Amino acid sequence: MRSRSPAGDGHPRFAHASEAEFARILDFYGVRWEYEPRSFPLRWDARGRAIESFNPDFYLPDLNLYIELTTLKQSLVTKKNRKLRRLRELYPDINVKIFYGRDYRQLLLKYGMAPAGDRQLAPR
Amino acid sequence: MTDPFADIQEILFTEEQITGRVRELAAAISRDYAGRAPLLVSVLKGAVYFLTDLTRALAVPVEIDFMAITTYGSAKAQSGVVRLIKDLDVEITGRDVVLVEDIIDTGLTAGYLLRLLQARAPASLRICTLLDRPYRRILETLDIAYRGFEVPDRFLVGYGLDYRERYRHLPFIGVLKNEVLAAGAPAAPPTARDAASPSAAGPPDAGAAEP
Repeated sequence: MRSRSPAGDGHPRFAHASEAEFARILDFYGVRWEYEPRSFPLRWDARGRAIESFNPDFYLPDLNLYIELTTLKQSLVTKKNRKLRRLRELYPDINVKIFYGRDYRQLLLKYGMAPAGDRQLAPR
Repeated sequence: MTDPFADIQEILFTEEQITGRVRELAAAISRDYAGRAPLLVSVLKGAVYFLTDLTRALAVPVEIDFMAITTYGSAKAQSGVVRLIKDLDVEITGRDVVLVEDIIDTGLTAGYLLRLLQARAPASLRICTLLDRPYRRILETLDIAYRGFEVPDRFLVGYGLDYRERYRHLPFIGVLKNEVLAAGAPAAPPTARDAASPSAAGPPDAGAAEP
């Protein structure tokens, strides 16, 4: 687990720039977060070893909320949605929220930070 | 000739719809705070229009005060954490306080303000927001006592809501065109007088509103 508190130093090594930006937004508003703190197995092989898992990007301990950012292309979003449904089936007590690419762009736009030339800013 | 409505895709709430809903919210607040004199706290700048109309429709005596904070991404927000630009002028300890917001989206700003105000030990503290967009809510536990409209996940301007400090003055709440957002700057900001003509922007989409 890579853990962080607001306004501290030493961000973890994020897999994507959007995750780093999201962490800065949480820091800005004083929301504590942890980066990829837990892996949820979704499928197992015959020996009981996990062969598929879901690793939410962030956990907000004060809100007991996991957040997954999905800024990827649509084909990968479909796969992630399937994993999210499976996660909710297996772990019904887990509170997880997914931010799709459009959501994330809208969020950045709200703060005047939308990337220039982005043509998918608003819902269709 | 420039069309003053060139940047507005559709009107979500007309001036009349907003006025009616604000009066309903004012009636609810007046009922709940009968015999008391709450302090209405608003955050600059977006909620100013709503606060002004709300207070004029209240049947109880109120005081108003304002706060201003840095927003993420603003030039003033270089410290990495939200900062109070303007604090309240009055003490709120022991007071009934209503935080008046224009829109609650992720809830991060409202959550920060609630923590800030709660630390000053008011007698009570409630949230009143004209617009509630729960789709991207991060602070899901946020307790909203008074809610005007639940709105869809679209970029809204007007009645205090801005895009890069434009469109606040519009008397309605409308959806900004994708092209304007993509371009990063408004093409032709309308004037208040132009915006008062609903025919220029087409009929309001009443179906999108969820009072």
